[in-house]
Amino acid sequence: MQQQVYFEDFTVGEPLPPLTKPPIDKPQLVRYAGASGDFNPLHYMDEVGQMAGTGGVIAHGMLIMGFAGQAVTRWIPNRYLKRLAVRFVDITRPGDVITVSGKITEKRVEDGAGLVEGEVVAADQNGNVKLKGSFTASLPIKGS
Amino acid sequence: MSDRSSLVGKEISRFRFTVERGKIRELALAIGDDNPLYTDPGYARSQGYRDVIAPPTFGTVIDFWGGRDFTAMCDKLQMNPVKVLHGEQEYRYYGEIYPGDEIEASCVLQNIVDKGKMHIFLLETTYRNQAGATVLVARSTTIERK
Repeated sequence: MQQQVYFEDFTVGEPLPPLTKPPIDKPQLVRYAGASGDFNPLHYMDEVGQMAGTGGVIAHGMLIMGFAGQAVTRWIPNRYLKRLAVRFVDITRPGDVITVSGKITEKRVEDGAGLVEGEVVAADQNGNVKLKGSFTASLPIKGS
Repeated sequence: MSDRSSLVGKEISRFRFTVERGKIRELALAIGDDNPLYTDPGYARSQGYRDVIAPPTFGTVIDFWGGRDFTAMCDKLQMNPVKVLHGEQEYRYYGEIYPGDEIEASCVLQNIVDKGKMHIFLLETTYRNQAGATVLVARSTTIERK
């Protein structure tokens, strides 16, 4: 069971539990290509990566956003998530270990709903940022 | 450029997609997201949903499998596909997406910004279900390197 989560459970500046994913491998990129329908060969054919100047295959940006979505919905139950936005900063390669971290940046009450804004960052094992973004959630307020 | 700027504010594609349980599961597995809301109908019902729900980035599945043809879009916007990068992606959630839903998506070109070395295309896609309710709005920026 997912625990009931309230507006009061979050504090501005509070770091949220980071999510570290297993290393990305080529089979995962093939699976993601099939799942998403994005069959750009840059994501599974090294020779295309060589031609494109990335030195080999690179991960779908939307896969990394998928990791961000996984982390955010561990922090905020799906039903309360109202917005997720990311900017793709750098490419990700097979072997990279992505950690998604985040924190709460703002809280306010609007029309009886507890609005929470947060930031989300995905970075690799060397701390290189791959994606930066933000999210908005509308949470119930205790006793209301 | 003069030709494609006339497309600003216009719908550039409209497509339909029937949400399948298997595609929801496949996306969750590909991401490695073990949230049972995406795969276990019994669990989802225990959480107050009527079935499993789609993960936050499911809009991309609707885009690619629903028939938004990337090559055709590049043709229409006169973009060179090999010079195109995905810059930003935003999703706004207005309702759940369930297996069996018939989603109709409408993609509008909001703006084209000339940044010197690149053009930035702002696209907004609205996803409505069979009841006519907007369940998702996506805004994306596509970067075309000159």
